[in-house]
Amino acid sequence: MIVNEWCMYCGECAGVCPQCVIEVCETGLKFDEQTCEDCKFCVMVCPVGALEKDEQK
Amino acid sequence: MMIETDVLVVGAGPAGSTAAKHAAFNGADVILIDKKSEIGAPKRCAEGVSKEGLKKLGIKPKSRWVTHEIENVRLVSPNGTVVWLNQDKVKLPEAGYVLERKVFDKHMAMDAARAGAKIKIKTLAKGLKKEGDQIIVNAESMGESFDIRAKIVIGADGPESRVGRWAGLNTVFMPKHMESGVQFEMVRVELEDKNSLEFYFGSLAPGGYAWIFPKGDDIANVGLGVLPTKTKKSAYQHLLEFVKSCPATKNAQAVEINVGGVPVGGPVRNMVTDNVMIVGDAAGQVNPLTGGGIISGMTGGLFAGEVSGAAISDNEITKDRLAEYEKRWHEDRGDSFKKYLKAKDYLLSLSDEELDSIALAFKETEFENINTGELIKNLIKVSPKALLKLGKLF
Repeated sequence: MIVNEWCMYCGECAGVCPQCVIEVCETGLKFDEQTCEDCKFCVMVCPVGALEKDEQK
Repeated sequence: MMIETDVLVVGAGPAGSTAAKHAAFNGADVILIDKKSEIGAPKRCAEGVSKEGLKKLGIKPKSRWVTHEIENVRLVSPNGTVVWLNQDKVKLPEAGYVLERKVFDKHMAMDAARAGAKIKIKTLAKGLKKEGDQIIVNAESMGESFDIRAKIVIGADGPESRVGRWAGLNTVFMPKHMESGVQFEMVRVELEDKNSLEFYFGSLAPGGYAWIFPKGDDIANVGLGVLPTKTKKSAYQHLLEFVKSCPATKNAQAVEINVGGVPVGGPVRNMVTDNVMIVGDAAGQVNPLTGGGIISGMTGGLFAGEVSGAAISDNEITKDRLAEYEKRWHEDRGDSFKKYLKAKDYLLSLSDEELDSIALAFKETEFENINTGELIKNLIKVSPKALLKLGKLF
């Protein structure tokens, strides 16, 4: 997952993640990419469009 | 390193701090952790709170954290038709004060500390496991990793709640039940009435609404929530459009941006499991119509704190005993959340034209004697279609 610089770590992405793969730190998001099932709910709900699926992976 | 405590509260928002305060009041050893370097900042909130709600929680308003007192509500339909509601005539949720959350949240945490809770800031919960009849939470603070062993863990960790999930509770919110919220705190806002909360409805905020909550002088929170399932644009893009088109904000300048998710699908099915309770946004304790969650979350915190404190002092930490918290919370809310949920569904079913015609019908109505009969009579006059939709819901 690409977390763009304008992410403000509000955690809405983590709230809708069915797999619970997102850890929201004060100034950082950590994704457990192995467990991610690619539903993209996190990308969809981000209020500022800061998340992008890294299609290379 | 292992730290032992009776009650561990994860998250020092208003719900968590209230839980910590009341658990400590009831004699428990309490630790309250928060991942942030400053409790209360950044806010994720429009900061509206009802006077009655604070009073019920026994909290006296302080000038340090109340920015402004609200008297009226101004509802604006898509074509700009205005309906005024007066606080004295209609009981309005979330109308009363506009807070300074950064200060308020800190004060609530300070109250918890004064009641005896120990606070650890800049401390992130990393995981949770059950060991015997206790819970071990792994935490990290300033480069140090340690475990906290607690008899009861209260998860007040917001809509991104992990504590509940780690403990096996289903606290995942579906995108259709999670508002995407974004807000500017602005200066040079030109309001019709500086003592009114303003709400704007329609396709400008699909699945939600836009708000202007005044904070005194020419300062206001200007924000909106959208349901991500109902729009392709981000909440931020919708807000930029709203600020540009709204007469009140044409000269306004932003000094802060806030973002966050608001769970509006009603409370989670289970708020309690063995040795773990969840409160506040984490438990979906949010008014599904308004998105307001300060009072209902703090009420959750109050009951969770009292129940956990009593369970500790009676040394009876069973799931049944802790479930008293959930029962009390539901009793306190009554069926109001169910009604708000239905009202929200109704509101979201209306087109811009229907919203305009309803606003037109109620524009001149004195809301002193509002009752269902009057409501239906007015609706029949202006929009039989809107009435039909209402009938299907109730």
